[in-house]
Amino acid sequence: MGVVRLSDARKQLSRIIIVAKKELVDFVRDWRTVLAMILVPLLIFPAIFIALPLFLQGEAAELSSYELTVEVQGELPEDLSSHLDGRNLIIIQTELLVDGTLSEPGIDSQRLNSGDSGDVIHAILRLLEIDSNASQSWNYAILSDSTDELSLEAKIRTLDAVLTWEADVINATLAQNNLTHDEAFDPIHWDGDQDTADVASGGDLAAMGLAMFIPLVVAMWTTTAAIQPSIDLTAGERERGTMEALLCTPTSRSALLFGKWLAVATVACVSVLGQMAGLLFAINFLMGGGLEAPNISTTGVLLLLLSVILFAIFVVAIELAVAVRAHSVREAGSILGPMVLIFIGPTLFAQFVNLQGIEAWWFVLPVFNITLAMREALMGIYDPVHIFMWVSTSLAYAIGAILWASKQFNREDLVESLS
Amino acid sequence: MVKALLKVSDVTKSFGDVTALSSVTVNFHAGEVVGLVGGNGAGKTTLLRLLCGLYQPTSGTVQGVVDEQPVDIHRMREHVGVVPEATGLYARLTAWENIRYHSRLNGIGDDMAWTRTERFAKLLNFDHDLHRSTRGFSRGMRQKTALLRALSHGPEILLLDEPTGGLDVTSARTVRKLVRKLGDEGGTVIYSTHNLGEAQQVCDRIIIIHNGTIRAEGSPQELMAAAQRDDLEEAYVALTEDVARTDTPPEDEGKIARAWRRMLTRGGGSIE
Repeated sequence: MGVVRLSDARKQLSRIIIVAKKELVDFVRDWRTVLAMILVPLLIFPAIFIALPLFLQGEAAELSSYELTVEVQGELPEDLSSHLDGRNLIIIQTELLVDGTLSEPGIDSQRLNSGDSGDVIHAILRLLEIDSNASQSWNYAILSDSTDELSLEAKIRTLDAVLTWEADVINATLAQNNLTHDEAFDPIHWDGDQDTADVASGGDLAAMGLAMFIPLVVAMWTTTAAIQPSIDLTAGERERGTMEALLCTPTSRSALLFGKWLAVATVACVSVLGQMAGLLFAINFLMGGGLEAPNISTTGVLLLLLSVILFAIFVVAIELAVAVRAHSVREAGSILGPMVLIFIGPTLFAQFVNLQGIEAWWFVLPVFNITLAMREALMGIYDPVHIFMWVSTSLAYAIGAILWASKQFNREDLVESLS
Repeated sequence: MVKALLKVSDVTKSFGDVTALSSVTVNFHAGEVVGLVGGNGAGKTTLLRLLCGLYQPTSGTVQGVVDEQPVDIHRMREHVGVVPEATGLYARLTAWENIRYHSRLNGIGDDMAWTRTERFAKLLNFDHDLHRSTRGFSRGMRQKTALLRALSHGPEILLLDEPTGGLDVTSARTVRKLVRKLGDEGGTVIYSTHNLGEAQQVCDRIIIIHNGTIRAEGSPQELMAAAQRDDLEEAYVALTEDVARTDTPPEDEGKIARAWRRMLTRGGGSIE
């Protein structure tokens, strides 16, 4: 009897592998899906961390090449004039005619907002000298249109010149009183390099940095990466009419479900690994190749892997179950798309929970428990109570999700094809 | 060779409020080609799905018999090949890969499956298309692939749901010839169709299903005699005189889904 059962189990396992292999072959043959699921996640963080800053730098350089016109209302001190020089600005001087405060635009509002391509003024600097004990004292305001890129750029350049001039005025006033800038503004100061005073090693810092990213990446990409294959292998099969023929084979529905689950989980894991590799490469690139290997013990790595696996089992089973219930690919997509937020929301929230003195019940809550477990594993915190709680509850959630998926996969209407 | 047959005893199958089959009793014997003939929504597909264990009867039993021993219908699957109405092929796989996938799930080695597939493919004049991707296959080519897939593990019973529906004359003829050949070689084929002429041509026995009940069964001659008509079509009309139902069994929807549908459609009509 035992031999028969073992043989049956072997047969089921073999069928699970046959289903998973076929689904993976089917998946790999669709180049668009491979592009979306493997290459895009691999490239997304390098694109965000490397390409985006380079692109922004290029845009800023392009903006700085524009010659902009600033009208100075009131007397323009020579010191300020020298600071405005070299900023690619055309300065027009006019008289200051203001009733209220300098910030109230009055009729100048129309002049800045006119959109007239003729003699356009990008910003207006208003200056009024006032009496004080300082070497000089002025009130000023810069009128600009924050919705106009060139006007905003003109304001930034003008403000920069004004602030540099202000620093000169402060230093001159201090000098009159025999004081230096540091004596006046930094009388109690840090001696040496602040980073040197931090006893955490580079590896510890790297691990802490990863603890900020990894749980979010795992949660976000596991949930999103599993959506498309989950839909394709369930609602997609129903819609294409392939499900009925498949269910007529002697393979049990649980073996079919596990085979499909294995394929989806493999795709999701490869996607997550791709995204992590991209993330680490981008961080390393930004730090000029100086990123130290994170200090994570073998226990930490094992706990991290366990948490990722349990989370993947849970998420993929839920997504498969929801997709099985849907009558069409469109319906499954419209349900699963917003459902991602149910997983990502708690993950985001859990990122800000203090690990110091954390209450044990956090490790019972679904999704929260896995995020916190990943954070603790990366930070080298191994609390046996926490580990027991998140492992046992995650296992329970994963089993519950599989049972639910299995129940959905045993529905009679699974054979119905909308086509 | 394992002798297998199927026994349907007083089976009723309901979907919610709709009864798709009512008190159906019928046996399928080894070595016969049986035609299930009936209109749309008569219950032919429901009966076929009960025979391959995809549906559970609401009441009654569906059993297989292997070596004269009754077996659960699910354990019969190794002895059954099925061609559903929607052929159900994977577009990114070749015809042979589709066939091989199912034969592997049936526990058959690739060599044996290939030998069987090649033999039947030659009969269907399809052997040159086995290594082509099924994307872009015509209806006839899809049907042939599905037939080869169902035959690849050497089943004793073949269940065909409208196998010639939508096929051109030549393809339909090829499929009919193959079915007849399988019957002549001792195989059991259960064949659902709308087409009486086709059933008369291919089947040893015809079962007329109407509004979820079996109205008559027997050879074409027996049916004509029972209806006292000289023509099978006339006999069919006489045996199914009452108006055919138009409501098809709805899907097994949940309580919330049903309440939502009823609220929007006010009793099942279309949303206005």
